[in-house]
Amino acid sequence: MTILKRIGRPAALALGLAGAAGGVAAQDKEPIKFGLLQDFTAVYTFVTGEYNQGQQDYLTLVNEEGGIDGHMFEAIVRDTGNEPQRGIEAYNRAREEGAILFDFLSTPVSRGLVDQVMKDEVVLITPLHGRGDAAAGETFPFVFPVMATYWSQAAVLADHIKSTGGLEGKKVALVHIDSPFGREPMPVLEGIAEAENFEVRGFPYPSPGNEQSATWSEVRRYRPDVVFIWGAGGGQSVSVQQAIRNGIDPASIHSVVWMAETDARNVGADAMTGVKRFEAVATGTETPIVSRIVEKVVEPGKSAGDAANVGSSYYNIGVATMAVAVEAARLALESEGAPLDGPKLKAGFEMIENFDAEGMMPPITITPEDHQGGGYGRVAQWNGSAWEPVSDWTTAYPEIVQEEIEMNAAEYAGGN
Amino acid sequence: MAYFIELLVNGALVGLMYALAALGFVLIYKSAGVPNLAQGALVMMAAYLVWYLGSLGLPIWIAIAVGAALMFGFGLLVERLLLRRMVGQPVIMVVMLTLGMEILLRGLIPGVFGAAPKPLDLGIGLAPVIVADVFMNRAYLIGGLVAVLLIAASMLFFRTRLGTKLRAVSDDHVASWAVGLSVERAIGLSWGIAGIAAVGAGVLWGSVQGVDWTLSTLLFPAIAVVILGGVDSIKGVLVGGLAVGILGSVIPGYLDAMVGGSTRDVVTSVIILLTILVRPHGIFGREDIERI
Repeated sequence: MTILKRIGRPAALALGLAGAAGGVAAQDKEPIKFGLLQDFTAVYTFVTGEYNQGQQDYLTLVNEEGGIDGHMFEAIVRDTGNEPQRGIEAYNRAREEGAILFDFLSTPVSRGLVDQVMKDEVVLITPLHGRGDAAAGETFPFVFPVMATYWSQAAVLADHIKSTGGLEGKKVALVHIDSPFGREPMPVLEGIAEAENFEVRGFPYPSPGNEQSATWSEVRRYRPDVVFIWGAGGGQSVSVQQAIRNGIDPASIHSVVWMAETDARNVGADAMTGVKRFEAVATGTETPIVSRIVEKVVEPGKSAGDAANVGSSYYNIGVATMAVAVEAARLALESEGAPLDGPKLKAGFEMIENFDAEGMMPPITITPEDHQGGGYGRVAQWNGSAWEPVSDWTTAYPEIVQEEIEMNAAEYAGGN
Repeated sequence: MAYFIELLVNGALVGLMYALAALGFVLIYKSAGVPNLAQGALVMMAAYLVWYLGSLGLPIWIAIAVGAALMFGFGLLVERLLLRRMVGQPVIMVVMLTLGMEILLRGLIPGVFGAAPKPLDLGIGLAPVIVADVFMNRAYLIGGLVAVLLIAASMLFFRTRLGTKLRAVSDDHVASWAVGLSVERAIGLSWGIAGIAAVGAGVLWGSVQGVDWTLSTLLFPAIAVVILGGVDSIKGVLVGGLAVGILGSVIPGYLDAMVGGSTRDVVTSVIILLTILVRPHGIFGREDIERI
């Protein structure tokens, strides 16, 4: 018995250690979970289906290619209906299931959970939605816009107008949905107007934007040289139709990023020729990542949605968001080691340097101070059948945008 | 002056298109005495159906006709499967039922057919109709004409023998049963006709904005129209629609620039509140006075 005990103790210890080591190894290779808790049934339905499909398909591609050093990725997908309460519930469940990164694709839900994710020290990405001031990494250490905020989008569009026909002395109309999102670009446009000596005026229309006739009569009376349209979903195609019906040249219309192939079909592909939009990510299936998705995910029937969506504007934005997130995970695994958690993943994001998703998006560099990645984008024009880039990837008026970011971030910090 | 006239004309045309969405509400109330809060979702569903039939390759006018037949059948089904079970229940339960239908359809239909906006091309060009410096929206002009025709057809329908029966059923279910009228059939018929009206509204609004869930938000202006015009008056739909459309166009046309925000929904809300306070039965609605 004593011998047994003597043999047994080291054996048991060895077995225990082996088991523990095996457990650690197993834990090391557990899938990295991302919570894609989005609005599939309410306000963001115009984008969520394609965007989320792109996200899931990219994660499937990464897994099909062996993951990152053997680490696989798992998407936890749930509907929040654009309701902060449902978002909180879905977030808590996904947290319990081990998610370390979240994307709500909903400004109300993202805003509602900013404080919680920072308290829980998990990563929240807010590409093309959410708080613009989240670009201030020191105030929002766990929130990463990773793509151009609406302020940066307005700046890039204004810079394009300046370089193609000039801004001085022009009249610019900002026709927008009457919501915080619609009004968001105004301070930056006013700042640029002061710097470049042009006039800008806002023209709000009521949500959801299915009827805008009175607004556009007023716009026509203003006789603008340039029109910015700042809405989303069906309201965008109504804006373009109303502009054309009021004799406004489609080539003078410049849209926020939320303008896609579906809007062109609603307006009429030919009628919309000339309309320009801000572009955060290249469209089409020619880029290496999307080509590989087609080959390894879509053709074998593993896509999370309709194959016809692959390569569309919103699908590709979804792909790019996950390409950035997976790159952050790769950098975090390299420098911090497995298993990943929120703080390690945050560190990974802040190590991203000149990452362009194999030519799919502008090269972004994320630092502890700048979580936006520089605010890059380009302008694309509808040519009757597709979006065609008419500028290079660029960033514009960084000092005016930065001033807005700092002012809003300071207000947030002051309120907390 | 041209600006004012433009706001007035386009507002009137938009109002007529709201009236089209409101028509189904009034048809059901006038026939069955039920306030149908699912009318916005029925408009959305009708537009989705027509879009889907068109995507199968049917010419748009055939798709509209088939869609109207299907929506008529859906109306009958609603009566048979849902409303018939509510006989004898308080009206508030029927209202809740229609509200539940609204929420269900708003989630279910985009879930089945896809949530991204769908194009519905009626072949109406984008070029404006310009008369003496007044720009009129061609789609609204055609929509307004269709609305007037459908409203007129509805008014004529209620003068027919069948329409008279429907009005009798609305007045008193028990008395109608007593004289041998089929209340169930009358209610089913009214839902079916409201389904056809929903096709008119859904197709016209869908051609303007694309087909997506936001079509169901037409319920709000439609309710303003029926409250102002009178919940049981087809003539009221016409007048209420014109008033809601004109006020919702002219007032924001001058006020928005002053306040820096969109005031149309505020105007619509004020119309609802003032009507309820000043003339609860609306301009043409019937005022029922009961001896207590």
